Amino acid sequence: MVTLQQLIFKLSEFWASRGCLLQQPLDIEMGAGTMHPETFLRVLGPDPWSVAYVQPSRRPADGRFGENPNRLFKHQQFQVILKPAPDEVQQLYLQSLEACGIDLRAHDVRFEEDNWESPTLGAWGIGWQVLFDGQEITQFTYFQQAGGIDLSPISVELTYGLERFAMALQDVDNVFDLEWTAGVKYRDVRHRDEVEQSKYAFGQIDMPAAELHRIHRELFEQYYLLSQTLLRSDLALPALDYCLKCSHMFNLLDASGGIGVTERTAYILRVRQLAVAIAKKWAGVEDTEKKEKAEQTK
Amino acid sequence: MDRELLIEIGVEELPAAWLPGLTKQLAEKLEARLRELRMVPDVPVESYSTPRRLTGVVGRMPERQEDLDEAITGPPVSAAFNAAGEPTPAALGFAKKQGVAFDALERIETPKGTYLVARRRQRGKSAVDALPDLLTGLLRDMAFPKQMHWDAMLEDGRGELVFGRPIRWLLFLYGGRVVPYTIGRMSNAAGPLVQEVTTGAFTYGHRFLATSGRAGRSIKVRTFDDYRARLGEHFVILEHSERRDRIARELELKARKLGGRVALREHAGLVDEVADLVEYPGVVAGFFERSFLELPHEVLTTTLVHHQHYFPVLAEHGELKEAFLAVVNTSPAEERPIAKNAERVVTARLRDARFFWEADRRTKLESRLDRLHTIVFHKKLGSYRDKAERIEKLARWITEQAFGNPAEADNAAKAARLAKADLTTDMVFEFTELQGTMGGIYAREEGLPEQVWKAIYYQYLPIGVEADAPPTKAQLGPAAVTWAAVSLADKLDSVTSLMKAGERATGSRDPFGLRRQMQGIVKTLMDLPELTGVDHEIALTALVDRADPKMVGAPDGWDSAAVVAFGHDRIRYALEQRGFPLGVIRSAVSGHSADNPLRARRIAEALKALEGSEDLRALAVLFKRVKNIARELKGDATLDRAALAEPAERALLDELDARRPRVTAAAGASDYRRAFAEIAGLRAAIDRFFTEVFVMAEDARLRTARLALMADLRDLVLNLADISEIVPQTE
Repeated sequence: MVTLQQLIFKLSEFWASRGCLLQQPLDIEMGAGTMHPETFLRVLGPDPWSVAYVQPSRRPADGRFGENPNRLFKHQQFQVILKPAPDEVQQLYLQSLEACGIDLRAHDVRFEEDNWESPTLGAWGIGWQVLFDGQEITQFTYFQQAGGIDLSPISVELTYGLERFAMALQDVDNVFDLEWTAGVKYRDVRHRDEVEQSKYAFGQIDMPAAELHRIHRELFEQYYLLSQTLLRSDLALPALDYCLKCSHMFNLLDASGGIGVTERTAYILRVRQLAVAIAKKWAGVEDTEKKEKAEQTK
Repeated sequence: MDRELLIEIGVEELPAAWLPGLTKQLAEKLEARLRELRMVPDVPVESYSTPRRLTGVVGRMPERQEDLDEAITGPPVSAAFNAAGEPTPAALGFAKKQGVAFDALERIETPKGTYLVARRRQRGKSAVDALPDLLTGLLRDMAFPKQMHWDAMLEDGRGELVFGRPIRWLLFLYGGRVVPYTIGRMSNAAGPLVQEVTTGAFTYGHRFLATSGRAGRSIKVRTFDDYRARLGEHFVILEHSERRDRIARELELKARKLGGRVALREHAGLVDEVADLVEYPGVVAGFFERSFLELPHEVLTTTLVHHQHYFPVLAEHGELKEAFLAVVNTSPAEERPIAKNAERVVTARLRDARFFWEADRRTKLESRLDRLHTIVFHKKLGSYRDKAERIEKLARWITEQAFGNPAEADNAAKAARLAKADLTTDMVFEFTELQGTMGGIYAREEGLPEQVWKAIYYQYLPIGVEADAPPTKAQLGPAAVTWAAVSLADKLDSVTSLMKAGERATGSRDPFGLRRQMQGIVKTLMDLPELTGVDHEIALTALVDRADPKMVGAPDGWDSAAVVAFGHDRIRYALEQRGFPLGVIRSAVSGHSADNPLRARRIAEALKALEGSEDLRALAVLFKRVKNIARELKGDATLDRAALAEPAERALLDELDARRPRVTAAAGASDYRRAFAEIAGLRAAIDRFFTEVFVMAEDARLRTARLALMADLRDLVLNLADISEIVPQTE
C-alpha cells in the first residue's frame, strides 16, 4: 500500500534523482500548479530549468461540502517542469509510475490527446491526459505559449493529480478513504476543510450574498491595482502574487454566482492582460521591444 | 533491379481522430514527391499507421531519377532586347529565375514568333542520393489539424520543423540499406537530453509488451515484410483493419460470455476510433451497480461511449446490462486489476449522473426559461431566452401555415419554447452531447405529451442527409409534425440569424455548424411527406423570410437571398449524397426548384427514372437550342398566333397547346414523371420546327411571333427543370 505521503516522497525522490530541483508550494491561493512562478515564469526564456513541487489547488466551484467522493474544493497536484523537454520524457514519466509501484505490463497505460489551455494565463500546450486503466492520473503537456509569449525551447509539464493517482494505487472509491499515512485517513486531515471552504465558496455565511459579492469585487479591484503598481515598479514576482489573488477572487465570485456572462468574460480578460504583462516583464520582452523601438527611431 | 523503399516516422502518440487522414495523406504526399523527383514507382504507394508510427512503403522503386530535359519558354526575342541591343530586365529576370546564364538561353521558332528558351538538362541522380530530398519534402508536406513546436529543424533553409507530435525515430530503408538523414534540433534546446533524430534500420515495438527481455528495445528490420512480421512479434498490429476486426471479434466473444451482445453496427465509429488508440488491442469486461440501470439509457450510453470509449452490453431485447466492455492496449494475464480501475471511473461518473438526474428533475423546464437569459447564443443575437421566443413563434407559424396543421400548433409552440431549457440543467452542463435528448427526457418525466417531448428530444436531428438518416417515422410516432416544425424552426433561426450577424461557413471552418444545420433543414423538407405525412413542397425562401430576425446592427445591404443560395448548395449536396447523377442534379436544382428541396428531389427522381428515354435526351439537346434562340426575343411579346402559318410551326403550336394543360396538371399533382413524359412528346414537333422553319425571319412580326413561341416553350419546360443540363456539355 502506497500512502498519499509516500506517493509524494516517491515522486519527489524520483524526479530529484533525474535532476529536478525540489521546490515548495507557493503560499498563495491558486487554481492550478501551472500558476506557480516556478512554472508560469520559468518556462519563459532560453535558460534550462527542471523543477518539481506539490501545489495545493483551490477550485471553489468544485467544492461539494465533503459529500462527493470524487470532487474537492482543494486538491493537490504534483507538478514537474522539464526545460527543455528531453527526448526521453515519456519513458521518464513511465519510470516515475514504476517508481510508485505500478506494474506497467499488468495495466493499461495510455496517452490520449488532451490539449491544455488557460485563457487567464494566455498559455496553451499540446499533449495528452495519461489514462491509467481509463482513469486520468496525469496531464502531460508540451507548453507552446505562456503569457502570450511563444516558448523556445519547449518545456514539458507533468501534472499528477495526487488524490486520483492515490485512489487508483490504494484501490479506494472515495477520496476521503485514502490513507494519508498509516492509520490516518484523508477524511481526518481534510474533511472539515472541505465542508467549511465549500460553505464559504457558496455563500452559506452570516452575510447576504450581495454583500459577499461586493467584498470580493472590492478585493479584486484592490489586488488588481496593487499588482499593476508592482508591475510598474518592475517587480514581476510580487505582481504575480497579487495577480493570483485576483484570479482567486474571480473564482470565488464565479462559484457563488456573483457575475453575469458578459462580465465574466471581462474579468477573465483583465486577469489575462495582467498575467501577460507580468510574463513579459519577467522575460524582459518589454525591455527588448523598447530597445528595438529606440534603435529604430535612431 | 527495382528496390523497396520503407519509411517509418516514429512519433509520440498521435490523436486517434487524425490517423485515417494522416494515413491517406502519407501515401498521397509520398507519391507526389516521388513524381516531382522523377522517380515514379511502378506499384502503388502503401501507407499504414498506429498511434506511434506513420509508415509508407513503395514495393518497387526506380534506381535513379529520370534525366531531366526540359525547355521553358520565356519572353519573345522582340521583347528581350532594348534599342541598344542590350537584354531587357524581363529577359534577364527570366534567365535568373531559371538558373541559366543569359548567354546560354536558346531561341525557338513558334507560329507567334521567336522566343527565348531556357533548356535545362540534368542527369538523374541515383535514388539513394535523391531520397533525402524526398523525406524532407514529406516531413514538410504532412499537414496536421494542430501542429506543435518541438525544437526540431531541417537543413533545407526553412529552419524549424513543426509536426503533429515529436518524432522519436526514423526508419528509412532503400533496398534494405539505411538512407542517411538527420532531423536537427534548435540550438537553445540541443544538448545531451535533446538530440538529433538520425535514420536507422530500427523500429520499436509495443511500449510495455515483449515476449522476452525488456519491452521498448529497438528491433532491426530489412524489408517491409520483415518489418511487419517483427512488429507483430513485438505486439504491434500494423494494419488498422486487422486491429478493428480483432476488436470486433473480441467484443462479440466477451459479450456472449456475459450473456449479451454489443451493437457493433451502431458503434461502428467507436470501433474504428478505438482501433486507432491502441497497437495491440484486448478487451476487458467491467460491471457497475444494478441500481444505475434506473438512469435513462441515453445517460448510461453517453457515459460509457463518449466519456470512456467503452461499449455498453445489451441484453436480448436491447435493454442495457450492468456491464461494459473496455478496449485496452494490452493482452493482460489478469483482467480484474484493469477492470476494477475502469469500474471506479464509470461508477464515479454514473454517481455524478444520478445526482444530476435527481437534482434536475426538481425544477420544471418551464421555470428554467428565465435562466436562459444568462446563456449567450451569439453576442449580436442575444441569449437563448431570445432564441426560444423566436423559435416558438416560428414553429407555430410553420405548423399552422406551412404545414396547414393548426391542430398541432400549440404543441409545436410549446416544444419550441422549452427546447433550449435543458441548457440550464446540470446533466447537459456535464454531458453536453445530451442536449435536446435530456430536455426530451425531462419533458417526458413531467408528463408532457409525446408530441411535445419527442419534438424536444429529436430537435437536433437530422444530421445526415440520406433518406434513411434518423429520426425515422417509427421513432417519431405521433410527434412527427411537431418535431419537424421545431427542428426546422430552430435551424432556420440559427442559420438565418447567424448569417445575418456576419457568420459564414468557409472552407473547413464552420464554427457554428451552419452547413450541418442547413443540411438538416433541407433533409427534413426533402422527406417531409415520408416523415410527417405533410405533402407540401415548401420553398426555402418562404421559410427564411419568415425566420429573418430583427437584429440591432444588421449589416447594410443584408439580403436573406444569401441564406437561400446557401440552401441551394446544400440541396445539391443532399442529392449528390443520394447518388443522383450530376446532370440530373443540375437540371433539378434550377429555376423554380432551386430553393425547394422536395420538388427538386421529386424532379431528380423523375429525370433519373426517364434517363433511358431517347426522346428526353434528344429533347434535352433541342432544348438548349430553344433556350439560346429564345434569348433573342426582346421585351415581352405575347404570342401572336395569327402570324404563325407554316405547317411545322402550326404543328408545334398545336402540340404545345394540347400538352400545356396536361404538363401543368401533372406538375400540380407532383407527378413529374408524367409531366416530363408529356414534354418529351414534343420532341418530334420541335425537331420538325427546327428543320423546316427559319426562326430569324426577315419580317419583324413573323420573327417576333416565332421567338415568342420559343419563349413559351422554354418557360413551360423551365417551370419544371432546365433539362438541357442532363446531357453532357459535349453533346
